[in-house]
Amino acid sequence: MHELNQPNVILGLSPAWFAGGLFVLTYILIVTERLNRAVISMTAAALMILGGVLTQDAAIQGIDFNTIGLLTGMMIIVGVTRESGVFQYLAIRSVKVVNADPWGILVMLVLITAVLSALLDNVTTVLLIAPVTLLITDTLKINAYPYLFAEIFASNIGGTATLIGDPPNIMIGSATGLGYNDFLFNLAPISGFILLVTLVPVYLIWGKNLKASPELINKVMLYREKDAIKDWALLKKSLFVLALMMVGFIVGHDYGLQPATVAMFGAALLLTLRCMPHGPEKQSRLVSSALERVEWTTIFFFIGLFIIVYGVETTGLLESLAHWVLELTGNDKTVTAISILFVSAIASTIVDNIPFVATMIPLIKNMAGSFGGTGELIPIWWSLALGSCLGGNGSLVGASANLIVAGFAERSGQPIRFLPFMLMAFPLMLLSICISSLYVYWRYL
Amino acid sequence: MNASQAMDPNPTTLKPTDTIECAAKYIMKHRYRALPVVDENFTYLGTFGVNCLLKLLIPKAVFIDQGLRNVSFIHESFEDLYERFNEAKLEPISICMNREISPVAPDTPLTETMLQLYKTKHSIPVVDPDSGKLLGVISYWDIGEKVAAVKANKDA
Repeated sequence: MHELNQPNVILGLSPAWFAGGLFVLTYILIVTERLNRAVISMTAAALMILGGVLTQDAAIQGIDFNTIGLLTGMMIIVGVTRESGVFQYLAIRSVKVVNADPWGILVMLVLITAVLSALLDNVTTVLLIAPVTLLITDTLKINAYPYLFAEIFASNIGGTATLIGDPPNIMIGSATGLGYNDFLFNLAPISGFILLVTLVPVYLIWGKNLKASPELINKVMLYREKDAIKDWALLKKSLFVLALMMVGFIVGHDYGLQPATVAMFGAALLLTLRCMPHGPEKQSRLVSSALERVEWTTIFFFIGLFIIVYGVETTGLLESLAHWVLELTGNDKTVTAISILFVSAIASTIVDNIPFVATMIPLIKNMAGSFGGTGELIPIWWSLALGSCLGGNGSLVGASANLIVAGFAERSGQPIRFLPFMLMAFPLMLLSICISSLYVYWRYL
Repeated sequence: MNASQAMDPNPTTLKPTDTIECAAKYIMKHRYRALPVVDENFTYLGTFGVNCLLKLLIPKAVFIDQGLRNVSFIHESFEDLYERFNEAKLEPISICMNREISPVAPDTPLTETMLQLYKTKHSIPVVDPDSGKLLGVISYWDIGEKVAAVKANKDA
């Protein structure tokens, strides 16, 4: 339990009961989606302080500014970079590489989605790739469903591969000190393998029947990808900063540089390069526009969530829960790791994986003593990362990116329905979790 | 002065079941920018005009919410546009008419009506708020003619 000067809880209630009750209520409200999730988490965080579980100073201690900084920095960089048109260039170029063959297009768009999701974030990636997909499938007069389905999977699988790919990984990296390279070496190979395996059923179900006439294929081949680049100067600046950042992520860990520092410095550098040639008024507009691209709803959701989970943690509730989990798994590391992998996958299929992972992190940290130190928790962290990221593929509500793609499909008149999607997606997600469990067992246990 | 005093009370209208091809021919022939669409009871349903036609000629991926903003890589010919129009020409105009143009009530003050006209960028329908029936249409020209008439009256 944390040594905090805990003030008296409102109405003389036990801090554990108050914090636990508030936490459960918050979770229920987030799941039911009756109120915006950022509003829910901010209100619950304020109640954690007003109710006397945390002081304001303690609440601020609970916020993981490394996660907040990394998310904000990346959002700024991606927001500025996308204005150059580079992402559309990549999508069109990749399609032309395979001569606009329908199955080839699916594979290329899946690869582009996975790689961009690994390097950027899933939501931005699908926001950029889904409209291009709809344009191409409309031109080829083929069903967009297999493409959008595969892109949902690619975004979640790609996001699993790196520290910055998906918020759960950012949180796990920040809480454990595992760096960019750790995620890259441990999760990227298995993510790549799962992506390839996922393409097999997609091919058998849809891929082999994807056909388009040579005239329509020729229309796609007439796209001029170079014309998609709207601002060559910005493109060069963005690529320079992105490359610098990747180097920062890779080598920074050894020099004690946190990912948030690298991302925020990258954002500041890109904004400097973007603003430099312009006068004060234009600079002001450019900076405002870049900051508007930050998803503040997500950022405030995270801030509130960190405070809520920290409040629960200070009461010792998560420590008790950790002991209970260990009793259930018989203090066995293998059983614990595999159980966490499956439970986090199922949970992430049903609920938002961010609050789930925020809760699991302190819970898993409390298991260190039973397993002989924090180093022994490594397989469990990979299980949590794989389960929570890949679990997002299990249903349409499993990840924000899924809902965004479903929204595009709906608006284009080719809706992705909840149940038909789940009937196909859930078994595929379970397959990826089974592969992951074998991987974790083979490599770490 | 209000909208009812500035409107044309006998506007040309379209039916929601008119085909896109038929409506397009009519609009092109008379160089209309937009016409109101009404049902058999003269209830206002929406507006169909050159913007709806342009929208039909541009790839769909552009117009979906958060859709493709950058289309500079697409290079199409008039044949491509004709083909796209051909695919939709037998559909009723109800599938693509603009339902987002807010009509004005007949008692809307003149200045507010003009502001609406300025924002909409083409003729706006005047609709009875209770029955939903189309009462008339206000165009730039209706306003312009009435303003010009003031000078003519003064000179006379």
